[in-house]
Amino acid sequence: MSTARSPMVVAGGGILLALVAGAVLAPQLAPYRPEVLAGGALQAPSGRHLLGTNHLGQDIFSQILWGGRDSLTVGAGAASLAVVAGTLVGVGAGLIGGMADTVAMRVVDVFLGIPRLPLLILVAAMVGANRVSLIVVIAAMTWPVVARMLRSRTMSLRQRGFVSAARGFGGGIGYVMARHLVPALGPLVISSFILVAANAVLLEASLAFLGLGDPSGSSWGLMLNKALLQPGLYFTPVWLWWVLPAGFAITAAVLGLSFLGVGLEPLVNRRWDVNR
Amino acid sequence: MAAEGTTAELAAPSSRRELSEPDGAAETVAVPLPGTEARLRPSRRRRGRQLVVSYLLTVFVLITANFALPRALPGDPVDALLSGESPHYVHSDVIRAQLNEYYGLDLPLWDQYRKYLGDLATGELGTSIRYNVPVAQLVAERLPWTLLLLSTSITLAIMIGWVTGVNSAWRRGRLADRGLLTLFLGVHSFPVFFVGSLALFAFGVKLGWVPLAGTRTYFATAGGALEAVRDVAHHLVLPALVLALQFATSQYLNMRASMVGELGSDYLLAGRAKGLRERRIKYRYAARNALLPVVAVTGVHIGAAVTQSILVETVFAYQGLGRLTFDAVAFRDYPTLQACFLVLTLVVVTANFAADAVNARLDPRVRA
Repeated sequence: MSTARSPMVVAGGGILLALVAGAVLAPQLAPYRPEVLAGGALQAPSGRHLLGTNHLGQDIFSQILWGGRDSLTVGAGAASLAVVAGTLVGVGAGLIGGMADTVAMRVVDVFLGIPRLPLLILVAAMVGANRVSLIVVIAAMTWPVVARMLRSRTMSLRQRGFVSAARGFGGGIGYVMARHLVPALGPLVISSFILVAANAVLLEASLAFLGLGDPSGSSWGLMLNKALLQPGLYFTPVWLWWVLPAGFAITAAVLGLSFLGVGLEPLVNRRWDVNR
Repeated sequence: MAAEGTTAELAAPSSRRELSEPDGAAETVAVPLPGTEARLRPSRRRRGRQLVVSYLLTVFVLITANFALPRALPGDPVDALLSGESPHYVHSDVIRAQLNEYYGLDLPLWDQYRKYLGDLATGELGTSIRYNVPVAQLVAERLPWTLLLLSTSITLAIMIGWVTGVNSAWRRGRLADRGLLTLFLGVHSFPVFFVGSLALFAFGVKLGWVPLAGTRTYFATAGGALEAVRDVAHHLVLPALVLALQFATSQYLNMRASMVGELGSDYLLAGRAKGLRERRIKYRYAARNALLPVVAVTGVHIGAAVTQSILVETVFAYQGLGRLTFDAVAFRDYPTLQACFLVLTLVVVTANFAADAVNARLDPRVRA
C-alpha cells in the first residue's frame, strides 16, 4: 500500500497520466489537426498557436498532443509484445530446464550481445517504418531482457518449498503456474513492462529522429527530425518552440516510466526468500 | 547437469551480468561434495575458451544476419531500388531481371552466401548507390572519425565518472552527493540527441565557442599541421562531451555504488589509524578496491556508447560512420547501410569481448 503511494510512483504516474490523457483526448484538446496547415510558417507562440507553428505552418502544440498517440502507442505496443514473448520464453525455459533452457538462453545471450539501434535501423529501413512494423521490430529486439529476468526468477522459485510441496501433492505444471508462479512473478512482469516501455519509447524516438518514423504520423522523434533538418534552425528563435517541446515530451515519458519503475521496486524485490 | 548450468552462466557475455539477478543463478547450482569443486568450477583456460566461442558465435550471427535480413524481410533490395521512394525510380521487368543478375540474386541461396562470405573476406562491400564509389572506401574514410570521437569521449567519461563517483560516495548523503546523483540521473533520462541539440544551441549559437557542424574546416589552407590539429579538436570537443556525459552517468552510478560498499571496511580504519592522508585512503585504498565491478560492466556501456554515437554524429553532422548511417537511411543507400551496420556492430561486440577478457584477467574470482 505504501509502495503505491510513494512520491516516486505518484510523480511518475502523474507525468504518464498527463501524457496519456493528452494523447487520448487529442481530438478534443488540440485546436487543429496535426497535419493541417493552420497558419503562417514559423510563427512565434501566440494565443492562436500556443507553441507556434513549424516550417509548413502546422500547429506545434497540436502536433505534440497527437504525437503522443504515435510515440506512446509504439512504446506500449512494443513493450506488451516483448513482455508476452519474453515471459513465455523465460518461464518456459526456467520450468522445463535442460536442453530447451540451454538453447533458449544461448539465443538470448546472442541477442543481448548485439547492439540494438544499428540492427533496428537496418530492419526498419528495409521493412519500411509504420506503426505496426515499428512495434514488432522494437519488441523483437527487447524481449530477451524480459526472458532473462523471468527465467532467473522462475529458476529460483522452482526450488522453493511451496512449489515442491504443490508438485508433491500432485499439482500439475499448469496448476503450479496458475496458482503459485503467476502471483509470484506478477510484480516482476509489471516492472519489466515498465523498463521495456521506457526503452521502447526511447528507441522509437531515436529511430524517428534518424528519419525512420511512421511518415503518416507526427511522433515526437519525427518532429525533432524535421526540425533539426531545417537549415539555419539554430540561428532563429524557432528553435525554442519547435525543438524544446518535442524533446521535453520524450524526456517526460522516459522520466515518468523511470520514476514508476524505481518507485515500484520494493514490490518486485519483496523477499520471497525470507521464509525459505 | 548442475555443472552444465554453471558453465552456461559463466560463459555468457558481460551484458547479462548486469541484467541477471544475483539470486537466480545461484539456486541452480547443486552444493558440490567436498573434492568435486575443482571439477564443477570451470578453469581459467576453459573460461577463456568460452569467451572466444561466445564472441565468434555472435560475429557469425551478425555476418549471417547481414546476409539474411534483406532476403528474409518483406520487400527485397531490388524492390527498394525500384520503389517510388527511391531516387532512381525506373520500372520494367527487364531491368528487374538485369538487376537480379547483377546482384547475383538469381543464384541458389547457398551460392549467394558463399559469394557473400568471400567478398566480405576480401573487403568487398559493394558499391554505394548514392556516391557510386566502393562502400569499403567510404567506410575507411569515415571509421577513423568515429573511433576518434569514441575514444575521446570514453576517456573523458571514465575520468569524469570515476572521480565524481568516488567523491560522491565519500560524501554520501551530503549535498554534493545528492546534487551529483540528481544531475546524472536527470541527464540520463534525456535522449542523447536532445542533449546534443541543447548543447549545440548553448555553446555553438549563444556562446559561439564551437563550430555548429562538421568534423573539420574544409578548404582551410592557412596554417600548418598544428592549426589542423587545433581545428579537428575544436570540432570534436562538444560532440565528445555530449557523448561522454551519457557514458559517464553509468560509470558514475557504478563507481558510486561500488565505493559505498567499501566505505565501512576495516582497512580504511587501519589506514586512518596509521595517519595516512585522506586523499591516499580515498584513491589508493577504497577507490582501488571499488574499481573492479566498474571495469566489469564497462564493456556493455561501451556498446551503448557506440550506438549513441550514431545519434550524436547525426546532430553534430560529424562525418563518421553514424552520420553515414543517417545519410544512407535518407537516401535508401542499402549497401552503405549494411556496411555501416556490420562495422558498427562488430566494433561493439569486439569491445564487449575485450572488456570481458580484461575483466577475466583482473578479477581473481572470475579467474578462479
